[in-house]
Amino acid sequence: MNSKKSALAQGFIRCHDCGCLSRKSEQNRLCPLCEGQLHPRLSNSLQRTAALLLSAFCLYIPANIFPIMTVTRLGVGEPHTIIGGIIALINSGMVPIALLVLIASILVPLLKLLGLGLLLLNVHYRWQDHARKWTIMYRIIAFVGRWSMLDIFMISILVSLVDMGGVAQVIAGPAATAFAAVVVLTMFAAKNFDPRLIWDNQY
Amino acid sequence: MQRPRKQSIERTFALSIAGLILIFPANLMPLVGIKMLGGDKDGTLWSGVVALFEEQLWGVAILVFLSSILFPLLNIILSLLISAHLYCNKPNRHLAHWMRWLQHMDEWAMLEVYMLGIIVACVKLASSSELKFGFGLYAFVALLIITGMLATSLDKTLFWQKIGQLRK
Repeated sequence: MNSKKSALAQGFIRCHDCGCLSRKSEQNRLCPLCEGQLHPRLSNSLQRTAALLLSAFCLYIPANIFPIMTVTRLGVGEPHTIIGGIIALINSGMVPIALLVLIASILVPLLKLLGLGLLLLNVHYRWQDHARKWTIMYRIIAFVGRWSMLDIFMISILVSLVDMGGVAQVIAGPAATAFAAVVVLTMFAAKNFDPRLIWDNQY
Repeated sequence: MQRPRKQSIERTFALSIAGLILIFPANLMPLVGIKMLGGDKDGTLWSGVVALFEEQLWGVAILVFLSSILFPLLNIILSLLISAHLYCNKPNRHLAHWMRWLQHMDEWAMLEVYMLGIIVACVKLASSSELKFGFGLYAFVALLIITGMLATSLDKTLFWQKIGQLRK
């Protein structure tokens, strides 16, 4: 496995958009097939991912502390946090749905934050082991990210449907913005991370 | 790694036309209706965005609008434009741009996540109110299937090759 040289080491650049391989040279800055900008690796991948990831970390705290929505029934308002909503689902006997929400809106963002953090450490400190497993982890993180939007969409539907003035109303809370920002930031962070960096450190 | 797909261009062309037709009822007609304490209310994709906007959650409203309405629409329109040009062998200097946009936008069109959101919301509401499913929901599910098939029928390598050939 280690005997294989990367395309870059052999003087090739692969276009990010169309996948066309071209020879690395000074003049040749545009892809011959799609005329996109050629970069040997995503530029400033580590710094960008780290910055986006840190902001997501900071926002993850308010997203879980503040109420994500307030349910008003007959004039009595009752704020729900993300976890509160899941507990309410369990109490009403809908465990599978509660599990789904738990995975999508708590476990996935948390694992993404930790996983991308570990990947950054991996590349920065040039860990040599298990490059293949790290790559698989990156793929899972990149694939699973969008499913966290589940909670946001659910709130958008509830807010528009349940709107009967004082009798019954759902109002979205400040955590919704923070949570949406966490999802978007981690998606960008995953996109900015270049998995080929994991393999560049192998000898 | 991906293996080449059969009749990728023809299939993408056909599916994107179907998607373009379905996207109108899915957006305009009510997805779910609710009957609660004598009041009636219908929800569409757009009404969710408006409701969030009215509560001053601009960011969330814009995000929901982009990922559930605008990006799926653009996705289908771009697939249609690209596959139509390739199908008729008509060169166009924007083809490479369109293709690039399509690839970057793919991740942000989240109809299937929205569907899951609808299901969870329905389960939450089912105990306290009466739900009815509108025609829009059927169109939405059909659209979901079409976009899923669209994603699997579109052979990126083949498309880029064709785009490269048409340029010359």
